[in-house]
Amino acid sequence: MTAPGRSDAATDAAQCARELAVLCDGSVTAGFAEPIVDVAADRWVQSLTLARDRLGLGYFDWLSAVDELDQGFSVLCHLARVDLVGPGPQARPLVHLLVRTAVPRDAAALASATAVFSGANWHERETWEMFGIDFPGHPALLPLLLPDGFAGRPLRKDFELSARLARPWPGAKDPARAKGAR
Amino acid sequence: MTVARRRGVIALLEENCTSCMLCARECPDWCIFIESHTEPVMPVMPVTPVMPVVPVTAVTPVTPPAGSGARQRTRNVLDRFAIDYSLCMYCGICVEVCPFDALFWAGEVDYAQVDLRELTHERDRLAGWLAAVPPPPAADPGAAEPGELSTLRGRNTGAGPTR
Amino acid sequence: MTGVDLPTPVPAERRLPAAGPSADPIRVWLDLDRRYHLSVYSLGLACCAVEFVALANASPPAADMAGPDPSGVGPPTTGLEAAQVLVVAGTVTDKMAPLVRRVYEAMPEPRYVVSFGACSDSGGPYWDSYSVAKGVGQIVPVDVYVPGCPPPPDALAHGIRLLRDAIADGTVTR
Repeated sequence: MTAPGRSDAATDAAQCARELAVLCDGSVTAGFAEPIVDVAADRWVQSLTLARDRLGLGYFDWLSAVDELDQGFSVLCHLARVDLVGPGPQARPLVHLLVRTAVPRDAAALASATAVFSGANWHERETWEMFGIDFPGHPALLPLLLPDGFAGRPLRKDFELSARLARPWPGAKDPARAKGAR
Repeated sequence: MTVARRRGVIALLEENCTSCMLCARECPDWCIFIESHTEPVMPVMPVTPVMPVVPVTAVTPVTPPAGSGARQRTRNVLDRFAIDYSLCMYCGICVEVCPFDALFWAGEVDYAQVDLRELTHERDRLAGWLAAVPPPPAADPGAAEPGELSTLRGRNTGAGPTR
Repeated sequence: MTGVDLPTPVPAERRLPAAGPSADPIRVWLDLDRRYHLSVYSLGLACCAVEFVALANASPPAADMAGPDPSGVGPPTTGLEAAQVLVVAGTVTDKMAPLVRRVYEAMPEPRYVVSFGACSDSGGPYWDSYSVAKGVGQIVPVDVYVPGCPPPPDALAHGIRLLRDAIADGTVTR
């Protein structure tokens, strides 16, 4: 347990998430390791700016997406507050949380976060490349990891892995159905 | 050099394998190939001091009693068990999931080949690796006595771990 | 069935020390150097690179990497023009494949390739990926495949010894 007077990372994160939700008119859900703040897609850049400036979440960790099938895509951004983290009496715990928004499947587009965090540049390139989500406002949305001439958006759940189609699954065999079964 | 619990090649103890296919299904690399078929269970011939000289030719499988609704008893016979070591990532999921302890870590790593097809080890080679399987680590001295031993020593009252 | 003329086997006492299926006396003399000294160039693409480095920098030096000796292989070389063996250690992605090919073609002949680890043998755990080659054998011809994920350093030493023996008896020729 933490000493009295010193705050706990989890409570700090929950507090931070609640404050961000109030500022951005969003909602908080508990994630696996950190709270998730859901915001509307048209308030995405504004939410990230408020998180950075008002709540001190100045460390941009990553930005990516999840294919939620019928619900479209979720774009997530992991932010952290790292100032004053470390040993010493004035230290504050590391606070991190996820900011999430929903993007429709057809015409998937979300305003680019590069104006807020320039480190989002490559993350948005990768998300565009893998999911096909457009980021208007991004300086140069070019392919990052895939080889030239690659067709398709690999991390979409409807992308079929040709190797798995070509090769039969060895576990599909059943002794009772094998030839020679008596 | 083989160290106890080193992840090397995997050996197959064929007598324990029942072709349940769990290892082939759980393998993330799809590198275990099992082929098997079912055969009806034959009656076990009792060994008497005086065996008949004339061999018994017509042996009928064990049939369930009429009207019981039970089906013919069958057993799985393993035809092919192969592991493709060019794909294997030595995660050990097959060793852990096998309910019959038919797979063991053998700890050998020196089996590089010139031909890629030679890296698929069939039943005979997998059985050959059994010689390299190290003995299991010694039991923790503070642990409870295993049930097999306590039953043997007549100490198993069924009331939980015994010493 | 008509008879087939089989070549007359060379009596053991007249056989050259490193004779193989297509032994040519000049080739045998040229290959003798490679029996005692193989310079190795490592193309470390992923985690297997760490195992290669562990063997190359083993302290005390591993017998196979300490320098030219009757049992051994030369220390790893940093220059492609001096390399004889290319050890491909790691996953070969589709984006990296042309570069692996370029490295192989920049090596002077005779050159050999050792595929180190499951990823470069056959794609390994990533065999089903959308951007991984199913083994470096799809890009360059491979002489020895070392299984493992990752293979420990002594498996690499065994693989290089196997290559050296295969060169010596003519099983692999380049």
